[in-house]
Amino acid sequence: MLAPLWFFGFDSLMEFIGFAIASAVAYQALKGYRLSKERTLLYLNLSFGLLGAGLLIDGLANLVVLLARFHRAFLFLSAFGYTINFLAQLLAYGLLVFAYMQQAKNVGGQVAMAAAVPALFFEHNAITELILIFLLVYIATNTAINYNMNKSTSALLVFGAFASLSVAHLFFLLFTIAPVFFAFAHIAQLFGFLLLLAMLLRVNHAA
Amino acid sequence: MIPSEQGQAAKPVSKYRSQFRIYVDIMHVIQRENNEAKPTRILYGANLSHDRLVKYLEELKALGVIQENGIDEKTYSLTQKGIEFLNNFRKVESFASAFGFKI
Repeated sequence: MLAPLWFFGFDSLMEFIGFAIASAVAYQALKGYRLSKERTLLYLNLSFGLLGAGLLIDGLANLVVLLARFHRAFLFLSAFGYTINFLAQLLAYGLLVFAYMQQAKNVGGQVAMAAAVPALFFEHNAITELILIFLLVYIATNTAINYNMNKSTSALLVFGAFASLSVAHLFFLLFTIAPVFFAFAHIAQLFGFLLLLAMLLRVNHAA
Repeated sequence: MIPSEQGQAAKPVSKYRSQFRIYVDIMHVIQRENNEAKPTRILYGANLSHDRLVKYLEELKALGVIQENGIDEKTYSLTQKGIEFLNNFRKVESFASAFGFKI
């Protein structure tokens, strides 16, 4: 399934913005880890570092395909970028799920995180998106519970971000049926990262 | 940077508090007392035994985040470094709390 041609370029731009925001979140988590030595902040740092790296590689790969005017020799880069991005997200969200499980002392559930990773490149497909949706829904549920408990705006923004990222991957799943969902997915993904940026600004401004 | 405590067994009833958390609690008490707290106020405010309080106050002084004032009646206040540390800690706590993580 090919992405709509009119949207090529915008998807890379949105992924570069996502990369910048994910890097900012990773940096904030690293600062927190250095200060407190709290391991969950290290997981958060690694998770958003991976998310950022995946977005950057996918964005660059798609940009090269665009600049090469969809030359056949470069088309594999799109699948390569997607594969790297998928693996990075799988690890990143897996780490976050692990962090939430550690917080809840649910050791048994951690075994479920040892997900098998296919070695070949893959295009957008239902299975990879379903795996990411499964992980994201778990994370979004935890952030919703957190918001319900402390009722802070920052917690609401984080919940909104992960809910938005879940919706983005639902759209990526639907993209396997209709190309227009590719654009919706990128917009939802960008919106999710913008909510994280709002949370970062709020946290640093309020203190 | 303030290191975290290693190797202490968790108590069955009270929630385990890391050394880092105890440092922060002591500093919060000092700040709450208008940056001039008597040892007894810190002892009750941070919920510590006398021996542990003395130990932690010495460690915090060595780290340069609090200072001892007075001769007959000792009081403790935060240094500039201590105030900056608490401000940074609040940002980190608020950031971690947004994700539902406790530090």
